[in-house]
Amino acid sequence: MKTWLVVLTIAVIGLGAYSIDLHGDKEDLQRTVLAQYTDKLTDASEKLSHLQRSVSQSLLFQDEQAIHNELDSVWRLSSEVRSSIANIPIGQELSSEWMNYLGRLGDEAKRTAKTGDYEAWREKMPQVSTNLQSLSDEWTAATVDFYKHDGKMDVWLQQVDNKNPNSQFDTVKDTLKGYGEKDFPLTLSESDWQKKIELKALQDAVITEKEALEKVKYLFPVIKDATFTVTKSSDTAPYPFYHIQFHQGIRLGYVDLTEKGGHLLSYLVERPVDEAKLSQEEIMKKAQEYVKKLGMKDVAYVESRENHQAWHVTFARVHPGDNALIYADGVQLKVAKDTGELLGANAMEYIQEENIKKQTAKPIDWKTFFQDDIQVQEVKNIYTDNGQFEQRLCYEVIALRDGNTQETFRIVIDAENHNVLKVEYLT
Amino acid sequence: MRLVSILFALILGISIIAIPQNDANAFSDQQITRGAYGDDVIELQARLQYLGFYKSKIDGKFGYNTYWALRNFQENYGLPVDGIAGAKTKKALTGNSDYDEKWVKAQLNAGNQFTYYGGQPLDQQVKKNTSGGSSNSSGSSNNNGTQTQVPPKYTERDLQLMANAVYGEARGEPYEGQVAVAAVILNRLESPDFPNTISGIIFQPLAFTAVADGQIWLEPNERAKEAVIDAMNGWDPSENALYYFNPKTATSKWIWSRPQIKQIGEHIFCS
Repeated sequence: MKTWLVVLTIAVIGLGAYSIDLHGDKEDLQRTVLAQYTDKLTDASEKLSHLQRSVSQSLLFQDEQAIHNELDSVWRLSSEVRSSIANIPIGQELSSEWMNYLGRLGDEAKRTAKTGDYEAWREKMPQVSTNLQSLSDEWTAATVDFYKHDGKMDVWLQQVDNKNPNSQFDTVKDTLKGYGEKDFPLTLSESDWQKKIELKALQDAVITEKEALEKVKYLFPVIKDATFTVTKSSDTAPYPFYHIQFHQGIRLGYVDLTEKGGHLLSYLVERPVDEAKLSQEEIMKKAQEYVKKLGMKDVAYVESRENHQAWHVTFARVHPGDNALIYADGVQLKVAKDTGELLGANAMEYIQEENIKKQTAKPIDWKTFFQDDIQVQEVKNIYTDNGQFEQRLCYEVIALRDGNTQETFRIVIDAENHNVLKVEYLT
Repeated sequence: MRLVSILFALILGISIIAIPQNDANAFSDQQITRGAYGDDVIELQARLQYLGFYKSKIDGKFGYNTYWALRNFQENYGLPVDGIAGAKTKKALTGNSDYDEKWVKAQLNAGNQFTYYGGQPLDQQVKKNTSGGSSNSSGSSNNNGTQTQVPPKYTERDLQLMANAVYGEARGEPYEGQVAVAAVILNRLESPDFPNTISGIIFQPLAFTAVADGQIWLEPNERAKEAVIDAMNGWDPSENALYYFNPKTATSKWIWSRPQIKQIGEHIFCS
């Protein structure tokens, strides 16, 4: 009996010591995380003040270099505040509102520096500066309690938990939403882009569920005997579509078709893939046949990538006027390496169909455009987004720098104003 | 007659022994070009490097660096310059270079930094991986040490992080649901309301349950990686969703206020 009592006492003491040690470790960890959160919060609050000052200072000068310095600061600070906000647990909704507002301010500064449209900046920014000041004050008031957590994580988390409404946070959120809409309303191009991705342009007649199934069987005969489950998209979806899941032997997958016109959005099959039997050439030939069978006869091959089970092959619509490739109207196919079966097709971008405005291509002398050690290997005319939701006619240049190692770059240059829109390092 | 048979067998034996080793490791008979990946590309890169045409890393991915090297080789050896490794090009390559497949594969699998230039001792061309793990430990390589090919705007690290997130968040979901979760991450990358890196999106505090409960650190399976590759190549079964939640476990009231798009498995996707 005595022995048992001793063993039990030792066990209880041991467990107690272990639990104290564990608790200590947990507290250490919590303190470390809290210190980081507090650091990010302080950083965001301080830089928000700097950002407001920078916006205000940008209105001081007529001198181009001086304005540029301030625009650079606005762009840099908005990005830094954004980064700090992204690292604080303040809830998704408030975080998104912040991200959006700061991102748009930074983009506006960057765009102004690039275009030199200082008048528009001077017109808009006095109000933005005032709004930023008020936001900064509201943010300080809302976050003052965050410094009173007594080193306890649960106190902090209670304050940000969206199950417990925080009225001060709600105020910041509502203010941000209001300022965002007024200070940075959607541009015409953005609004057009929004309509495009929401498929507002589709005017075809609505098809029934039965017609949708018929279409699936016609487009993808390999699953014509499958068991199908059809559901409609939610009522709040931006565009109505049929979501058709299927199961046939080893094949499981889905097809999404728009309700208006039964256009293919995407198709994907999962099945075991055996060892590769087809060559690259055979796969590409099959991919060309598949796009035609899917009714996309106005597309051309762009690129392909092989992985261990399948090839991903990309096509893009060819502009009927100048034969330039419209990258935004892309189609992607997934082709199995064993049998060449079509494992997937994605036509979401293709059916959005860009409305391309007429543009002219002005020639570029590559010898003066690039450094002497750059060799231009390929030049292709394409249409692509200029970062402002506008489709621009561009030169897509594949250039090579042949030094100690060969380096390949893809450079996209606006064909009309010769602005460099994109530079990619290719391996 | 017996003497003739012995002589014939002897000649045959000698000729088999005399066949150069590089032919024993010759390519498959398939022609390959940009976009290809795997064993044939590893051999192509190694042979081109052996002859001094290929200066980049041997990684089994037929990208632009391999393409230029191949074109240069074709030009130098009087072959049609098309950047396609067809029968003639492969024959010229095997006839003019050596390929020690075992050695090259061993380096790739060990994750070593190495080159394969001809005329230099192989042991002087290796910098051993001191991390102790093989290249496979990165999770994005296959059993021949070849890494996965992703579109140029993404990296191997993005693939790895996203595969971890997809596996942690949706491993019990149908494949379509896993692709949709990966697509939500990529949709956030395009949205002004979210951080502008994949890492920033995944580790944004309170954004993903798998980060909060540590399940993101589970080793993802091939299915999760395949789902990420499909999403990176454009598939979006979520139809442009920015959020998703499990209606059985969601505690946030706000998430229910988001416009819903569709349900896949246990997840409701919304904008």
